[in-house]
Amino acid sequence: MRALTYLLFTQAKNRILNLRKKPAMLVLYCFIFFVIIISVLYLLQASNDIKTGYADNRIIYLIIGGIGLMYLYLYVYTGLLTGSTFFNMADVNLLFVAPISPVKILIYGLFSTIGKTLLASVFIFYQIPNLKNAFGYGAKEILALFFAYSLLVFINHILSIGIYVFSNGNQNRKSMVWSILYVFIGGIFLAAFLIYKKEQAGILETLYSMVDNKWFGYLPVVGWTVMLFKGVVTASAVDVIISLGMFIAVSVLCILMLTGREADYYEDVLYSTEITFQNKLNAKEGRNTSSNIKRHKDIKNEEHGINKGKGASVFIYKHLLEIKRSSRILFIDGLSIFTAVGVGIAGYFLKDAMKAYIILAVLIYFQYFITIFGKLKYELTKPYIYMIPESSFKKLLAASVSSFLKPCADAVIFFGVLAIVKGAGILQCLFMALTYIASGAVFIGLTVVYQRLFGAQPNLFAKIFIGFLLTILVITPGIVASVLITIYLLPENLYFMATLPYTLICLIMAFIMFFLCRNLIDKTEYSGRLF
Amino acid sequence: MLMISNVTKKYGKVTANDKISLFVDAGEISLLLGPNGAGKSTLIKCIAGLLKFTGTIEICGNNNKSLRAKRDMGYIPEVPALYDMLTVWEHMEFIARAYSLSDWKERAEYLLQRFEMDDKKKKLGSELSKGMQQKLSICLGFLPDPKVILFDEPLVGLDPHAIKELKNMIVEQRQEGKAILISTHILDSVDEFWNSVNIMMDGKIVASKKRKDMEEAGEDLEQLFFRITEGAKGEK
Repeated sequence: MRALTYLLFTQAKNRILNLRKKPAMLVLYCFIFFVIIISVLYLLQASNDIKTGYADNRIIYLIIGGIGLMYLYLYVYTGLLTGSTFFNMADVNLLFVAPISPVKILIYGLFSTIGKTLLASVFIFYQIPNLKNAFGYGAKEILALFFAYSLLVFINHILSIGIYVFSNGNQNRKSMVWSILYVFIGGIFLAAFLIYKKEQAGILETLYSMVDNKWFGYLPVVGWTVMLFKGVVTASAVDVIISLGMFIAVSVLCILMLTGREADYYEDVLYSTEITFQNKLNAKEGRNTSSNIKRHKDIKNEEHGINKGKGASVFIYKHLLEIKRSSRILFIDGLSIFTAVGVGIAGYFLKDAMKAYIILAVLIYFQYFITIFGKLKYELTKPYIYMIPESSFKKLLAASVSSFLKPCADAVIFFGVLAIVKGAGILQCLFMALTYIASGAVFIGLTVVYQRLFGAQPNLFAKIFIGFLLTILVITPGIVASVLITIYLLPENLYFMATLPYTLICLIMAFIMFFLCRNLIDKTEYSGRLF
Repeated sequence: MLMISNVTKKYGKVTANDKISLFVDAGEISLLLGPNGAGKSTLIKCIAGLLKFTGTIEICGNNNKSLRAKRDMGYIPEVPALYDMLTVWEHMEFIARAYSLSDWKERAEYLLQRFEMDDKKKKLGSELSKGMQQKLSICLGFLPDPKVILFDEPLVGLDPHAIKELKNMIVEQRQEGKAILISTHILDSVDEFWNSVNIMMDGKIVASKKRKDMEEAGEDLEQLFFRITEGAKGEK
């Protein structure tokens, strides 16, 4: 056990010391720490004002329930596919073969995961001012939220491993887990429908009623998390004890499943550890993280071959082929469909030309994070784009075409759906689709600018803190132009084309960015990885 | 064919290549030997145009970044970089189209056959084992029939048949008048076919010898390598 505690603490210590070599990360962590300290001080600050009219606690219950349901689905899905893991490849190669009890190694894995989960949950402290102002929460409630979220992630992790151990290699058991999951989710929707019928309230009120209902708290994982937090908020010790008891019982059950079979869980976690390792590697190299799950694909004769393109243009056709192979419908992935459903629901309920622009703004916001992971970035991790005897500009444009086509396809679906549900007029939807495409072009341009300026792509933190400023700088002229032209020049019957100035300016900006970075491939260094 | 003059490559404060100069003539196999971290792979990547550097590198008289030079150069990386969603044959097609090659199919078939990959044409990059990936990577490097070929640890991960075939092909390429630069730290793997050797340490070329001169002096590659590398360590 001494070796394991040594490993645990030395890794933590070295991780902190290693920050000296990464000043940007150090600054970022200091900033996060500073924000949290300020938030905590704000929380502890005694207020003499007796404020009333706080927001409904059920909003938080609903958020916990929604996130919980999403996590549960994702982790069960992972459990059925690859399983989850507490370990990394170094653990597999060094610890699993060492003369240390597998149970002790499992405990080490559990502690290591708990530590990581707690660290990942600190973002909740960011919300202290909001939670205090809107809901009147104090330290007790915020800590409860923090632990409830950590517990939710941790228990899902264990559940995922448990499901993998239970169902691995047994199709009947897999089908059984799927059935239970679908009955579970279907049951929740059915309950919501029945409440809706009974109470004749709006959809949101129905959902509030459902998560606030006593029976909801008994639903596995999702309900327990809500019950735990609700127990703290309403000072119900019984709720807290029951929910914690449920969490502990499931954890113990899963751990017993792992250790019960003469503690031979190594094989069960090996595959998922390899997948996790490869996922991290892929993420670093800007590749699709699901691509390493090796599935044999039968390539039919008529589907075999790139068949088109010469010189730089072969990148276009290669990308089209790759995309066709990795998704059932060209450019339309699960996220596109999920987003289209969201747009449809929002459009159906809002049904307002002005509010449709809020949908557009939200879509563009998400687009910023998605576009950056285009095929161009993937190409920059391979040596071919640097070595192929064509001009940098041609290669750059060709490798970006598929990235341009993705927002086009998404725009057709999103705004097609919006037009169908009559969330906005057809012409307005058309112009908003063009705006979405133009924003996509700007974001692809920004990818190129990042690579040209920094020689690498920004990680998520940099994207949020620095990338956002740059993005705002680039798109602000378009927004200002659209607003001013709409207010002062555009007749009311032409308001549907209010975004046109923004669209045109974005396209010009994108062209300028590409043109200025046209020698990117000659100037960038190949590193095989981007972060 | 391959001319390197005063090439320096720095990563921040670390100098990976320090004023390196060397020349590989047509029909010559030149070795780049050195312990781990000597800067061999960095130099190969600089020649391939993948890294920025100061100094001059010319391929058949053209700057290595020029399109003409790229057309004349083949690079087989240490770690194969393949596309997950392309089959073996589509990788060959991709290179053929990217280099605007004509009548490439016969050559592609021939290369795949030599490396026993002809029955794997429809396998995706993600389905190939590490060794298979390395073999495909070699085929891709050879497909445009380059005049200057750069190998970075080419024999690592290959099965005995592929090692034999690759060695044969390297010798055949020399006979066809190609200039070949091979970076490796496994001396035995290249002992039988080299013409000149450059030994690198700490980013510098510390010795350059011709095989003929060494044979006349009665010295073999291993002796030279250890005399220089371990001698240098001793001096430190």
